[in-house]
Amino acid sequence: MLTLTILSRRGPTHGYGIANAIQEISEEALRVDEGSLYPALHRMEEAGWITAEWTITENKRRARIYRISRAGVKQLAAERDSWSSFSAGVARVLRYA
Amino acid sequence: MSWFSRFKNAWNPRRLDEDLAEEMRDHMERRATDLQRRGLSEPEAHRQAAQRFGNLTGIRETSRELRLWATLDDSLQDVRYAWRGLVRNPIFAVTAIASLGLAIGANTAIYSIVEAALMRPLPLFQADRLITLAAGDADAFSYPIYEKLRGSAGDCARLALFGSPDRVEAKVTGADAPYEEVMEQLVSPDAFEVLGVPPAVGALFSSAEDHYPAPRAVVVLSHAYWQRRFGGDPTIVGRTFTIGTRPFSILGVARQGFSGAEPGKFIDVWLPVTTTDPDIFTTDVRLFRLMGRLAPRATRDQLAARLQPAYREYEERRSERGDLPAAVQKRIRETMLLVHSGAAGTAGLRRTFSRPLWILLGVAGCILLIACANVASLLLARSTARAAEMALRVSLGAKRTRLIRQLLTESLLISSMASLCGWLFGRIAAPALVAMVSTRAHPIQLDLAPNPQVLSFCASICALSALFFGLLPAWQATSSGPIVELRHASGQAGRLRLGRLFVGVQVAFAFCLVTAGAGFLFSLRNLAAVDTGFDERGVTVLNVTSTTQRDRQLTVMQQLQMRTGALPQVQGAATAWMAVFSDARRAQRVLLPGRRPSEREETFYRVSPGYFAALRTPLLSGRDFTFQDNDNEPVATVVNQAFARRYFGNEAVLGREFRRDDGARHQIVGLAADSHFGSLRGGPEPIAYMPMKPPRAFTLYVRSTLDPVSVSKMVEREAQALGDVRVRNATSLEALVGSTIRTERLIAGIGGAFAALGLILAATGLFGLLNYSVTRRTREIGIRAVLGAERGSIYGLVLKDLSGTMAAGLMAGLAGALMLMRLTQGLLFGVQLVDPLVIGTALAVFGGAAVIASGLPARRAAAIDPAVALRHE
Repeated sequence: MLTLTILSRRGPTHGYGIANAIQEISEEALRVDEGSLYPALHRMEEAGWITAEWTITENKRRARIYRISRAGVKQLAAERDSWSSFSAGVARVLRYA
Repeated sequence: MSWFSRFKNAWNPRRLDEDLAEEMRDHMERRATDLQRRGLSEPEAHRQAAQRFGNLTGIRETSRELRLWATLDDSLQDVRYAWRGLVRNPIFAVTAIASLGLAIGANTAIYSIVEAALMRPLPLFQADRLITLAAGDADAFSYPIYEKLRGSAGDCARLALFGSPDRVEAKVTGADAPYEEVMEQLVSPDAFEVLGVPPAVGALFSSAEDHYPAPRAVVVLSHAYWQRRFGGDPTIVGRTFTIGTRPFSILGVARQGFSGAEPGKFIDVWLPVTTTDPDIFTTDVRLFRLMGRLAPRATRDQLAARLQPAYREYEERRSERGDLPAAVQKRIRETMLLVHSGAAGTAGLRRTFSRPLWILLGVAGCILLIACANVASLLLARSTARAAEMALRVSLGAKRTRLIRQLLTESLLISSMASLCGWLFGRIAAPALVAMVSTRAHPIQLDLAPNPQVLSFCASICALSALFFGLLPAWQATSSGPIVELRHASGQAGRLRLGRLFVGVQVAFAFCLVTAGAGFLFSLRNLAAVDTGFDERGVTVLNVTSTTQRDRQLTVMQQLQMRTGALPQVQGAATAWMAVFSDARRAQRVLLPGRRPSEREETFYRVSPGYFAALRTPLLSGRDFTFQDNDNEPVATVVNQAFARRYFGNEAVLGREFRRDDGARHQIVGLAADSHFGSLRGGPEPIAYMPMKPPRAFTLYVRSTLDPVSVSKMVEREAQALGDVRVRNATSLEALVGSTIRTERLIAGIGGAFAALGLILAATGLFGLLNYSVTRRTREIGIRAVLGAERGSIYGLVLKDLSGTMAAGLMAGLAGALMLMRLTQGLLFGVQLVDPLVIGTALAVFGGAAVIASGLPARRAAAIDPAVALRHE
């Protein structure tokens, strides 16, 4: 979900960019092995939620750029809804339990 | 389309691997650059970047597995590995592929013949609604029966009549064209309708052909013949087609793909049955086969129930000459009229060849099993060398099933390549086999083009044999623990046990084949040695047709005989009805005065004077026929000894009289020696010879030192001089006699070849195992030699190891052979079930091969240098 959000908000970028973004935005609260991002990215790519392409960046280097697909947008919306209802449910339990 | 990209990645994973490596390397470099910008030194930055990334190899493998189809990738890897393994061991590969390929090829060849001759349904509309009729075992009917049954069938089915396909001479392109041979068949006018064959050009027979006595002289051509001979000429309808000397008009061409309803015979031209000799409509001459098509809701049982009473009534009426022996009455009552499925056409070829073909297929299956056991042994021997490799892989974490899958892939690769070779071998062998059995007198044609059934058969035996020879060695190779193997200790004992099992299997099947092969060969020898009762060498047999008027026919025939007899280099000539050993006979029951009719029907053979001299069958007493003898009663008759013994016991027969069951009186004027007439099996048949009647077609026997072609030319010249007489074909008496045993010859030839092949395979297996055993025990043998053991005892040691296996294999093989001979008893001749000659020969042959196979390893064992052996691992 986080990856999809970043891609949809910030536009297409490469894996390193996504890793950095997650770290930076969550203010270092989320920090995992950076490499384990890649199987997740590839899984989402196989599922069709993001697409990837080899392109030449500004520094004349080859990078694999990921972008969110239309199916991914739908998936993101669905996941955010379920997250919202989940966190709302948790909040209610905490308040009224 | 993720599955498509996964498939692509599995097919060529190199690209994927490069992509993944580059992407992750790129990530780590960016991180390192970033860290350097923040102040770390270069080596420290790289180290931290790698640390933060995590387990690179693991992550790469996970990603890789996500993005490709793992099973395909693994399988392709296995195949590439297996291929490399084969290329590195060329001798093993060639041996395995060659022996397996030969076996698979033999199986495919015979199966394709079985499929084409016995199993394939006719390419007709709703072939499963077709039926054939049979009376008990016999499927030949006469025209009167056909009419009666057709009436009784009513609306349950429509019946049609089919004559026996025959080679005839025809002038197809015009009156001046030379004669060509075509395959003709007489059919009833509704035959094409009943079978459901439409015309391709023109029209086919219809009820317009049902007129008698002035039928339309029309013929129908088969599509294949039309294409082959006339190039598909569309103006074919209406052209003249002369058969013999009769002109016909071509009515039409049948549709493509139909060449008759009898497998093994491709018909070129069909004639309406109404154009044949008028006698067949009224007499009970059984020449025809009956096929039919069931009505939409009728069943075979219904039809049988309708036809049975009609058939019985006909038979009883035909035999109504007063009292019949009880046995004959019983036989009539019990003969069931059977309705069989006609989807695969009439049974001609099936009757003769069904049993031999299935037997050959069984024998080929044995060879396949032997070849599989052989390859399994080879694989087993190879696994010794790979034991360390397997142990290493297991210790690195490979699962047993994964290893077995890889070994099975190797087996499948071997068997696939063997199947390819086998398929090609089968394509050549199958037509060759058919050609071996097809003779001029009885030609056999089969469509052996590749078809799905044969292909799937080949593919399944490919897969099954891979499983057979691959599974056990694979199981064995992956079963020992790593520690044991890495220390080279004897996990080899298990291998030896398995090896003994395979050799035992090979020995059993090979001995079975050798025994059966010996049985067939001895049968053939016995049959070929049977005294036919005449001298068949140097006699040409000619089929002659005469188109003169009836009253001149006899004279013309006699003149031809006399003129031929007077030719130089001709020692004798005689005429007779049909030729001996030609599947045709005239049989009647014999009535002695004051006694009831005989229970059997005996052969009555019309011959001319000079027959006994020409064929060199001695005349024991009485006289030969003269040209004055004719059919006036009492008919002068010469009987042979078998006939005399059966009906007159030991009494003198000259002058005695008897009747045929159609009333004619016979008087015996001579006694001839025994001879065979229809078959070499069984004793000489009782034969009653009588004088010739004016014939339309007859057989001319010519004893001469010349070959049949030259004799035929000479006689043809004489025939032309007489006019209206033609020689139709010529063969030798030896060929005719030989053709009766062609089935036996086929089985003996192929059985013998397979037995030899099986023996060679088993011997190589034995050799391989003994070799392995000696290698394994090199140290032990060396020690024994040092301690003073003699060469003889070392031989004994090596052989004793396998004696148990050999004995078990021989016993199993003997049991199998006895079973096989019991199944094929009908084909054996002069060979008992447990025949000491056959079994003794088989043991001798097998023993000889075993001695040769074990000779080399034994010598090797005896020649082991103790010093070298003691240092051997």
